[in-house]
Formats: sequence, structure tokens, C-alpha cells
Amino acid sequence: MALAHLQYPLQTPKNSSTSSRQQQTKKQLLQPMLEKAGDAIAVLDPSGTLLEVNAAACHLFGRSRRTLVGKPLATFIKPVLDITFDVNQVSLNGQITIICPKGIERHVEYTLTHNVYPQVHLAIFRDLTQRQAQAEEELRWQRQRVELFSEVTLKIRQSLQLKEILRATVTEVQRILRADRVLIYQVLADGTGKPISESVLPAYPAILGMEFPEEVFPKDYQTLYAQGRVRAIADVHSPNAGLADCLVEFVEQFDIQSKLIVPILQNLNPPSPSPENSQNQLWGLLIAHQCSGPRTWADFELELMQQLADQISIAIAQAQLLETLEERVAARTAQLQKMNHNLQQEINDRMQAEAALRQSEEQLRLITNALPVLIAYVDHQQKYRFNNKAYEDWLNQRPADIQGSHLQSVWGEACYRRMQPSVEAALDGAVVTYENEVMVHDGSTRSVNVTYIPHLDEQQTVQGFFALTSDISDRKAIERMKDEFIAVVSHELRTPLTSMHSALKILATGRLGTLSVDGQQMLEIADDNTERLVRLVNNVLDLQRIESGEVTMDKQAHNAADLMIQAMEAMQPMAGQQGVTISAYPKDILVWADADYIVQTLTNLLSNAIKFSLTDGVVTLTIEVRPTPEDKTKKEVLFQVCDQGQGIPADRLENIFQRFYQVDSSDSRKKGGTGLGLAICRKIIEQHEGTIWAESTLGAGSIFSFTLPTLKR
Amino acid sequence: MEVKRVLIIDDEESIQTVVKFGIAMAAGWEVLTASSGPQGIDTAQSESIDVILLDVMMPEMDGIATFHALKTYPETEEIPVIFLTAKAQTAEKNHFNDLGVSGVITKPFNSLDLPGQISKILHWELQS
Repeated sequence: MALAHLQYPLQTPKNSSTSSRQQQTKKQLLQPMLEKAGDAIAVLDPSGTLLEVNAAACHLFGRSRRTLVGKPLATFIKPVLDITFDVNQVSLNGQITIICPKGIERHVEYTLTHNVYPQVHLAIFRDLTQRQAQAEEELRWQRQRVELFSEVTLKIRQSLQLKEILRATVTEVQRILRADRVLIYQVLADGTGKPISESVLPAYPAILGMEFPEEVFPKDYQTLYAQGRVRAIADVHSPNAGLADCLVEFVEQFDIQSKLIVPILQNLNPPSPSPENSQNQLWGLLIAHQCSGPRTWADFELELMQQLADQISIAIAQAQLLETLEERVAARTAQLQKMNHNLQQEINDRMQAEAALRQSEEQLRLITNALPVLIAYVDHQQKYRFNNKAYEDWLNQRPADIQGSHLQSVWGEACYRRMQPSVEAALDGAVVTYENEVMVHDGSTRSVNVTYIPHLDEQQTVQGFFALTSDISDRKAIERMKDEFIAVVSHELRTPLTSMHSALKILATGRLGTLSVDGQQMLEIADDNTERLVRLVNNVLDLQRIESGEVTMDKQAHNAADLMIQAMEAMQPMAGQQGVTISAYPKDILVWADADYIVQTLTNLLSNAIKFSLTDGVVTLTIEVRPTPEDKTKKEVLFQVCDQGQGIPADRLENIFQRFYQVDSSDSRKKGGTGLGLAICRKIIEQHEGTIWAESTLGAGSIFSFTLPTLKR
Repeated sequence: MEVKRVLIIDDEESIQTVVKFGIAMAAGWEVLTASSGPQGIDTAQSESIDVILLDVMMPEMDGIATFHALKTYPETEEIPVIFLTAKAQTAEKNHFNDLGVSGVITKPFNSLDLPGQISKILHWELQS
């Protein structure tokens, strides 16, 4: 060995040959150690001359031992290494640069130990250049790993499709780790499982899609993985791997020599606030296989696998969220579609309803336009809101122009004044019918019958009213003719009646000659019937005049007692003839009335009462003031005529006020009535704004009552 | 009471007759007759008349015109006039009263009752 030639300037102790032998033995022992040491070692004398170098040093300096030994160390290094020491200093260290041949420089760390032997120093060099390169390499690797990791992560994240993510993961992991097979094994709920994604070198069998029984991956394994266990098995056959024989056998069929397993976990309830619920569940495993031989898995590889497994977890969670989201979107879409459908249906229905409404409106318009009456709707401001076409015919104004106009502006001041009370009554909620005279566009006047029907909303508030106006000009003309005819006829009858009446009365005196008994009787019949005819003519004329409105009641303040007495006195002769007593109870009450007509009414009622009384009967005439039935705060005067006659059936009590209506037709002849008396009474009382009615008890008698308003001051 | 002289102006002869008979029979008064307004005015001017019964409805010159004419002559303006009418309405009666007629007797009437009615209107003392 080279070291055998070492000529150390060793200072051997002078007095001990044993010691020299010992030293020699030590030297022999040290020599091979020195030679084999990994570090570069040099032995120096105090002047810094190299006494010995080992192989590593030769390698480091790039020079042969011969070149180095005997030369000063300073020749090969920079800066100059000061090897003079403080006596107390055992060793020193630092960094120098070794200058190798061809200008190559090596940065080294050195340790200089003084006096390992007397006057012999030991220098040990360690190449820093190499370590730096290693460190740089390491750094480069790390950077590459980070880049790879982010690349994989990006690839994974670029897809939302789980399948795509898994495929990308296995492909990338296989590429980065240069593993022979990378797969993702999904653990199913029943403990079985199967690889669902795989990237495998063509040389080795693919196991994608194979279903593995539960025994391959027992429950306790699952639990361990669920807790986050990572397994790196460098060699499946190594006893250290701790794999059961059967399992080794099992993996051998897929050529698996080494494997790295990381769990893919799934957080069951990520959003749950309670920690006990946010349990991790094992979703599957990310597995790398080495088939070519055993492999020691580096930490960074484990780390990469774990991080990717975490990424997959996230991707699964996202995929499930997406799936849930898609389900919800689908459900919501279906719901929206249904709603949309319903909405469409509703729109259709509404459109149909609107079409029907339009059609109905059109029909209504056609109908209202076809009718010869004026039909309108007037709002609460007395403005027209609807008019049919008849308005155009009458007023020569289009309905569209009339709408929005006030009644007064449409009909004029004078006509509106006649309408106003009825309009106000309708807007107070009353159905009103009245007659009016209106002027149409050609200046002619038409008689109209008008009905106002209030329009109430759900709150019973009057919104306006419907106005129906029909032309009654023809009817009015006929009525006028009838009235005139009656008036003329009645009048023309009066003159001959006067003659007949007077002539018969004169004959009846007997002063123009005496008639036989039969002749006398005939004369009486003629006289009675003439009188009856006179009454009839009078009544017909009265009724016609009152009904036609020709009569205006000449109302004045009168003492009711006077009227009652007048009537009683007028009827006294008749009562006397019939043997009937009239009991009147007059009171001094002022009434606002046409005295003649009220007396006529009272005489009429008294006359009826007397006619239908039995001999010795009593007819009572009374008067009182009482509150009105409608409003207890108001008062009215009540006149009553009571008899003790046969009475009137209840169902006839209203009919008797009709013209020529008599309860028993035989009575008519017997009692010599005209059939118009009560009709006239009713007309008279109506003209006085009072009411007249009859009450009766069959066999006990009747009460005829009428009211008059109390005196208006 | 002295015998009154009554003039009846009516275009109906039968009315003239029954009025004449009735008044004469009931009260013994003298009754003069005329068939038209102008004839009546003539009679009233030429004769001494206590009361004129004047029919309102007459052809040509009606009762109202005749009444106005009577009021224009000094010989007749003081003679009380009572209208005989088929129009018995209060308003018409008031209208006639406003003209200055003394009274209104409505047709149909019983001529026997006329002296009573006239006396009542004109406040004559009637002999019972």
C-alpha cells in the first residue's frame, strides 16, 4: 500500500523501543483506515508541506499523490492557509478553494487539527462544490415537484367531471412518480371495491374494473385508512412489510413488488357545525405500484400522493355537490317548467276569458246599441262612463264624446234641474223612476221615462248608477188624447145630465101633474140613476184630472176639525136615511192640504162606511197625530173611518183601491157606487204625500185610514 | 123677499127650460133666457136683471168673454154674474173668482136647488 511508504517526521520517544513498536503497530492500523476514508485527508508539517495524502484527497485535488506529497499545500489552494496556530488551539476550520488542473476550482471546507503527532498536522477536506450541486439538485427537484403538483392540481381542477379528474390524476401520478401502475380504488359501502381509474405501463396487467372481495380490504384496514393512514411498502416480500402471505400471493398476480397507498377521504357532513358529525369516511385509495422491483418511496412521493388524494377528496365533494346541484337544478327546472306550464295555462285561460269578455262586451254593445232606449252608466261625479248608440241618435254626439261629460253639460241647465233630485236619490242608493221632458238635437221635445239603478260595490258604497231612458212620447200623446177625450166627454155629458136631472126633479115634485104609483116608481128609478150617472161622470173626470196631473192640489193650512165636520155634515143626511150614526171626534190639528179634496176623501170614506153598515150601526171618524213608521222622530196626522159592517176579505184589501173593483159585484148595484171612489181617494192622498190603506175583520167591520204630513211651516 | 129677475145665458135650450121651470117652481122668481153671449148682453142691457147665470162653455163667444163684455157696459157692470160650469176644479173656481165673478155653480145641478145656491152666494135673504 502507498501508505507504507509514508515517511513521517515522527518524533519517536527515545527511550522506548516498545513504544516505537506500538507506534509502528498504530501506523499499520491507521494506514488502511486513512486510505479508505471518504474524506480527503492530508498530513502536513508545521511549514505546511504536504507529508501524506489519501486517495480521496488525490481525487479532490485532481492530482496524483506523487505530485502532491512534498509540496507546500499553499501551492494548490487559495487563499494561503495560515497553519501557524496558537498553542492552545487544538484545531481550526474554514473554507478554501482548491485549484485543480485545467483551472478547475473546488470549494472545500477544511478542518485542521494540530499536532496529531508532534510536528504533524492533519487536514481534512470536504468538497463543498458537490454538496452545493446536490443541494441545488434537491431544490430543483422540489421546484419540479411543486410545479408538477400544481400542474396535476390544475388538470384535476380543470374538470368538474369526476371521471375525468380521476383519469387525469392516475395518468399524471404515474408520469411524475414513474410508477409502473397508478390506480384509484373505490371502496364501496359493502366493503367490496374496484379500481375505477388506472394508468399502467403496457408491460403489466391492467386491473381496472376488477371487483375485489371484502377480504382483500378488511374492515379494520378501512378504519385505519379512514383515520388517515398512509402505507408505503418498499418490498411486498419483505417481512418488514407485514403483509399476510395470502395477500402477497394476491398482489403477485398483478406483478406488484412495491406499493404506496394513500386514502381518499370524504367528509360526510362538511357544513355541519357539530364536530362529531363531520366524520371522515373512506371513499377510496390512491395507489401506486412498482412492478419492476422493490422501491423505496421518497417522502415527497408520499406527500404528493397525499396531496393529490386530498385534491381528489375535494373533487369528489365538488362532484357530489355538483351532482346534488344538478339534481336540484333538474328538480327546480322541472318545477319551473311545471310552473311555466301552469302559467302558460293560466295565460291561455286568461286570454280565453279576456276574449270571452271582449266577445261578451261586444255582444252587450251590440245589444245595447240595438235597443231603442238610452242606456248609460253614470259615475258618482255625475259623469257619463258608458253610453249606447241611442245617445248618438238623440243628441247627435258620439258616445265617446259624451263619456266623461257631466249630465248638466249633456242635457242643459233646465233639463238637468228636473233630473237633479232623482240623480241625487240614485247616488244615495235608491232605485228611482221618473218622467221628464228632454230636448233632442233637432230641437224637438221627447217625453221620457227614466229609471236609475244604483251600482253598489262590495262595501255597499254607491259607485254610480245605470240610467235607462225610454221614449214615451207616443204613450204620452195617447194619454193626452185619452185625457182630453175623457174631459170632453165628461163635460159634454154634464150638460144633458143637468137637464135630465133637473127635469126629473121637477117632475118628482108632482106640481106638473100627479103620476100613478108605478109612474112614480119609474120616475124614482130614472132620478136615482141620473144621480148615479152624475156621480160617475164626476168621478171619472176627477180621477182623470188627478192622474193626468192636470190637477194641482191647492194646499193650505187647515184645521182638520173643520174638514171632519164638513164631511160629517155632508154625509149626515145619508146616514140618517140608512139609520146609521156617525160619531166624529174632531181635533184642532193643522194640516197642509187641499180642503176640498180632503173633504171629498172623507165623504167618500164615510159614504162607503155608511153604505156597508147595518141599520143602527155606528160609523166612527177619528184623528190623531203619531210618529211616522219609517222615522220615529217625524210625525204625521192619521185619519180613520171605522164601520161595523161585514168586513172585507184580507186578500181584497189592496184590490179595493183599484178602479171599478168591488168586493161583491152585487153590492155595486145595491149600493149605487161608481167603483171609482177609493181609487180617487188614493190618488188624492198620494198627491198629499200621504198613504191610504184598509184593515178589516170579517163580520166585525173595517177601518180605512189615511195619513197626511203634519203642517210644514 | 121680492121676486128676483134671473137671466140665464146658455146655448142649450133644455138647460134654459129646466132652469126656468126649477127657479120658478122653487122660488117663484122670473127667469129670462138667452142662447148666446151677445143676446144675453142685449137682454141684460134692456131688462132689469138681479143676477146672470152664465154658461162658461159656449160656441163663438164663451162665458168669460161675455163676462168681460158685461163689465164694459155701465148698465150691466153692476149685475152679479154666476158661472155655470162643468169644470168644477178648485183652481178653476179660484181663477173665476179672480175675474170678479160672484160665484160658480157646477154642472150637473138640480135647477130646483138654484134659488138656494144663488141666495147663498149673493147673501140674499131667501123666503122660506
